[in-house]
Amino acid sequence: MPLVIYVEADGARHEVDVPLGENVMRGAVNNGVEGIVGECGGGLACATCHCYVDAAWADKVGGPSSDDERDMLESAAAEVRPTSRLSCQIAITPELDGLVVELPERQY
Amino acid sequence: MATAPIVIPENDPKNPVPFPLPRLAGMDNVPPHVPKELIRSTGLPFSPEFNENPYEFFPRMHETLPPIYYDVGPMQNAWQLIKHEDAFFALRHGEYFSSASSTPFPRDPKDYFYFLPIEIDPPAHRKYRAIVDPLVNPQAVLKWEERIRTLSNQLIDAVIEKGECEFTEDFARPLPVCVFLDLMGLPQDMRDQFVTWVVQLLKNMDPAKMIGVMKEIGDYLNTAIAEKRRNPDEGMISRIVHAAPNGEPLSEKEIFGFVFFVFIAGIDTVYATLNNIWYWLARNPERRHEMIGDPGNINAQVEELLRVFSVTFSGRILKQDLELRGVKMKAGDRITSVLPACNYDPEVFPNPREVDFHRPRKPILAFAGGVHSCMGAHLARLEIKIGLQEWLRRIPDFQVKPGVDVKYVPSAVVGPEPLPLVW
Repeated sequence: MPLVIYVEADGARHEVDVPLGENVMRGAVNNGVEGIVGECGGGLACATCHCYVDAAWADKVGGPSSDDERDMLESAAAEVRPTSRLSCQIAITPELDGLVVELPERQY
Repeated sequence: MATAPIVIPENDPKNPVPFPLPRLAGMDNVPPHVPKELIRSTGLPFSPEFNENPYEFFPRMHETLPPIYYDVGPMQNAWQLIKHEDAFFALRHGEYFSSASSTPFPRDPKDYFYFLPIEIDPPAHRKYRAIVDPLVNPQAVLKWEERIRTLSNQLIDAVIEKGECEFTEDFARPLPVCVFLDLMGLPQDMRDQFVTWVVQLLKNMDPAKMIGVMKEIGDYLNTAIAEKRRNPDEGMISRIVHAAPNGEPLSEKEIFGFVFFVFIAGIDTVYATLNNIWYWLARNPERRHEMIGDPGNINAQVEELLRVFSVTFSGRILKQDLELRGVKMKAGDRITSVLPACNYDPEVFPNPREVDFHRPRKPILAFAGGVHSCMGAHLARLEIKIGLQEWLRRIPDFQVKPGVDVKYVPSAVVGPEPLPLVW
């Protein structure tokens, strides 16, 4: 299972093995990582699973996967940066083993 | 004047008890801390004035009412929130806003149960959501796509040659009932019985009669629960019956309240939404053709139609005193987020009355928000999307049957019926 490292805004690190086919949002929600809320369940409807992809991973993960994600990011509560993504839209693949995402101070 | 603090008990799912505070109703029961100038009687959602044209009433609320006011009505008095921001605040702050007692269905006080997970506050509600989320998340519901398409076409097959139908009975109600039966792992031959129960329970304003219907539905669900205990399958009832969060199986009352709630939540809301949308489509041929001509934009079309035709309200009860926009509310006060009005908030959705299929995507409140955000939202979106695709493909031109005056019936879920259509 690929490892995902979630770094909370206060610096706390969570290392979580997330099954293939899952996404970065569910990896957090199912493992008690509180910096991601994901209240709509992953349907691009709430902007509460905002994360910053670590600079070293940004190219591999890529930018927003749709116009809907781009639009929805504008509703995020915390500052949107060039590596901002909605984590429900980042599918877990073998290539993302070791992925580091930083979490914003707030999701709403 | 200081008042004794009101303690709102946390609902303990293992020991369900009736909520201790009564529902206040009527002008004689307005608490003294409510300023006179904030008292209104909007008539929402049962009055003739509201039901004359609900989807003009909702946007107009932003022009005629303060953002927060105290609504006095014959069934319940409550603060009402109509700003998008305020509703999200209420839905996202369980520390102030409890959803205990948020479901108005009567239950036997001697054999009480909670509707789960809606009546349990965070963080305890999470364990229930985790049981069913894998069946209803956006990826999981995709497996229903072909099934919903087949069901939609069967319903259309039954009426297309006739050139007319009563949309509620022939499409809007059976579609979500069939999907519900499949999802739960119940046999399709229960369809007509479930349709009858939905109508008896949800279109009934008499609590005494409601109790009888709830008993009948409950007896059937208990039989189904027992059957799934013996013969596990992939359906939702079986999943709930056999769930053991942290190694601890759910109690009988938790299972019952959970299964019952899915029934209440997933049928009435979908068919009211379908009726609203088809009523609008029947009267707006140019918009219908716009949709048919832009099939790649169907997801945005569904989202925008959900924005303008939201059907429900979200009730909470204040756990501690709170001041919002200068309005001082007290522990024990009831709060209603008027979700359909919030979706017409001009600060968030400029020119809110316009149905614009190219709006930038923003969070809408059709499925509420916060931790209790509708768990069936993605399934509902899929049902609406496929229903639209198949109907518009096969019956692109239709109208309300001439001479019929379509009416909104008083209900806690807003939708017109009956809806006779011809083509």
